[in-house]
Amino acid sequence: MVNFFRYAIRETATNLWRNRLMTMAAVLTVTVSLGLVGSALYLKQGAAQASASWERQTQVQIFMVPGATNGEHKAVKAELAQSDYVVQACVFRSQRWDYYEAKRDLGVDAATLTIKTTPSSFRCTPAQPADAAIIVTEFSGAAGVYQVVSPAAEIHAIQTTVDWLQFALLMIALVLLLSASVLILNSIRMAIFARRREVSVMKLVGATNWFIRIPFIAEGMIQGLLGAFLASAWVYGIHVVVDGISDPNNPQSLGAQMRLTGWHVFVTDLVVVVIGALIGGLGSAFAVRRFLDV
Amino acid sequence: MIELQNVTKTYRAGTVALRDISLSIDKGEFVFVVGSSGSGKTTLLRLLLREELPDEGTILEAGRDIVHLPKWRVPYLRRNIGCVFQDFRLLPNKTVFENVAFGLEVIGRPATVVNQQVPQVLELVGLSHKSKSLPNELSGGEQQRVAVARAFVNRPLILLADEPTGNLDPTNSEGIMALLDRINRTGTTVVVATHDKLLVDRMRRRVVELDEGLLVRDQARGVYGIEDPQGVPG
Repeated sequence: MVNFFRYAIRETATNLWRNRLMTMAAVLTVTVSLGLVGSALYLKQGAAQASASWERQTQVQIFMVPGATNGEHKAVKAELAQSDYVVQACVFRSQRWDYYEAKRDLGVDAATLTIKTTPSSFRCTPAQPADAAIIVTEFSGAAGVYQVVSPAAEIHAIQTTVDWLQFALLMIALVLLLSASVLILNSIRMAIFARRREVSVMKLVGATNWFIRIPFIAEGMIQGLLGAFLASAWVYGIHVVVDGISDPNNPQSLGAQMRLTGWHVFVTDLVVVVIGALIGGLGSAFAVRRFLDV
Repeated sequence: MIELQNVTKTYRAGTVALRDISLSIDKGEFVFVVGSSGSGKTTLLRLLLREELPDEGTILEAGRDIVHLPKWRVPYLRRNIGCVFQDFRLLPNKTVFENVAFGLEVIGRPATVVNQQVPQVLELVGLSHKSKSLPNELSGGEQQRVAVARAFVNRPLILLADEPTGNLDPTNSEGIMALLDRINRTGTTVVVATHDKLLVDRMRRRVVELDEGLLVRDQARGVYGIEDPQGVPG
């Protein structure tokens, strides 16, 4: 067994060196494709984490008609108090509060908006992020209610964009993965062709099929793994960049929201390495099965 | 040692290479297979090596039916059969020592065995002093000696040689035949397919003649052609 491993390692190393240009091409293609797969995985996890965080902080705002009566206010408050869809208790903001908030946050021209024309509001946190839509439906059109606003639609739009971006990345990555497999297959095919004399002698002297095949399969797996390790470094690079743009003083910033933990990055890298080993192994196994006549 | 019973082999194109051949070769025998090109000599050797399968008939080697041998067992069968070819089939980027050692390495023999057996067999073929040379630094005769060494290094029960002197001058041809004879004296069964009339006539060993796939002659201590009544080879 020791002899076999020594032989397999020596033959694999010789083959890789002999076909070094082809090997480099295969490794780089695997790196790019797995880098994109890793990026898509990072993006997916980061986006899921950020949107979950945003959803947790989502507030539904129920704006009352500026001239709403006291009774209407009380009715809405009572209904909110009984609702299972909100985290108790909702905060009430007066017309004055909302006026100054609008002025501060939106830079509203004071001439077009006055305290009297500004609606008062109830600010409620949904029990579940998905409950925001139910609250919007429930209170829209209720007596004295001017408008019910939830940022869920905006979050959904961001999620949809991220999903599409991730889908596009995955599609490109899949095409590149396929081309990487074909490139590995082709490099193994060339290696088999270059070593056809040796293979025929090996067959004649009684080498077993696996003895002949394994150095070729190992060659493909090494190409896949080298590409995967470089792609892992790529994913780690993304993590470093995200880390760099995240403001530690502002946990609400996009970078901070999307930043993954070291464990998540490790698992992502592990997935990338496993995929690399698989495409290398499968590409070379197919080449060996198809082109190595043992 | 080797037994063929009613063996017929037809290639896909419809060429009948061997027709109903029955032949028995004992352990330790030296047999020449002669016949014109296309008579079926190489097919016979390929069948013995299990590189081809017959359409009909049985082939036994050391009492084992090799026709119905599972594919995964074929490498183990071949470890008991050494092969020598007209074109030597040496690996050009390996030295003489490495070429011979290759035959042991690929069947998983440990380095200690390789380092012990390779010098012995190189001594046998008279190439100890060239162990570090590459094949292209050797003459044709020397290359064929390396091929014989590689075929014999595993001490096979059977040694098959397909036109081993086809690319060699008469002096080197004689040297190779003397070597095969020496190997045969160790108890190895040797089967040589050849066109070399001179050597067959000189060695006077068993001769099996094929003609268009038919076994037309099986003669102990025979000659290449049919002997005339006066005993002069024709």
